[in-house]
Amino acid sequence: MWFYDKKTQYPIKIKKPDPRMAIAILTQYGGPNGELAASLRYLSQRFSMPTKEAKATLNDIGTEELAHLEMIGTMVHQLMDKVPPKELEKLHVDTNYVIHGRAVYPSDSNGVPFTAAYIESMEDPIANLNEDLAAEEKARATYDYLISIADDPDVIDPLRFLREREVVHYQRFGETLRIVRETMGKKKYY
Amino acid sequence: MDEQTTLLEQIMAYDFALYDLQLFLNTHPSDTNALRDYKMALEQSENLRRQYQSKYGPLTARYLPNTTCWQWINDPWPWNNKEV
Ligand SMILES: [Fe+2]
Repeated sequence: MWFYDKKTQYPIKIKKPDPRMAIAILTQYGGPNGELAASLRYLSQRFSMPTKEAKATLNDIGTEELAHLEMIGTMVHQLMDKVPPKELEKLHVDTNYVIHGRAVYPSDSNGVPFTAAYIESMEDPIANLNEDLAAEEKARATYDYLISIADDPDVIDPLRFLREREVVHYQRFGETLRIVRETMGKKKYY
Repeated sequence: MDEQTTLLEQIMAYDFALYDLQLFLNTHPSDTNALRDYKMALEQSENLRRQYQSKYGPLTARYLPNTTCWQWINDPWPWNNKEV
């Protein structure tokens, strides 16, 4: 189970609204390489992890991704908050506005709703961990794209933090894969 | 930055260090340096958390200050931008 801590994992204080950037970042909320997909993937896969290191890693990275989901939602909210509808229309983000207003809805930047089809969860831990390594790299690449189109330091700073976390997660999943392979090798699997 | 935000961001920094060490320890459970760092950061975080909660109210619902009113619901929530 979980308890809530009344803080984000990393400070977010965006002073300048930027609805186009909000919609770009939205893909990390409910898109294919986003934080919701990451969290659900790891928290579902953890049930079939065979070693204590792998159970803890999937459990805890899945939990951290929920904190990242909150960070992304916070960024989208602060970038959209109180922007007048006419302004949204001028910036071509009015299609999103007429469906959701300025709310945070789990979709990608094109408005495609979140789907569990973005993730896989198999009984085979080797297959799962290889998916997880790829997922972290895809999330890292998405943060690179977002950083390349952002110009406000208040936006770039938390995006950089999130990008770094994907690199660390990739590292931890690599170590976990090695541990699982060694353990399975000892048990005379292949 | 006001005093409350400064203190909160100190707690956030220690809690982040703790979480990063937690992930590291999950795959390196006998790393004595990481265990020592974890212990140090945990003491700092708990200390600052005690200070923060007694001054500014609960960071978790499981904290009951000496008041007649349930303070957990008080603003700001983490997604609210205090400085705007
Ligand atoms: Fe991640």
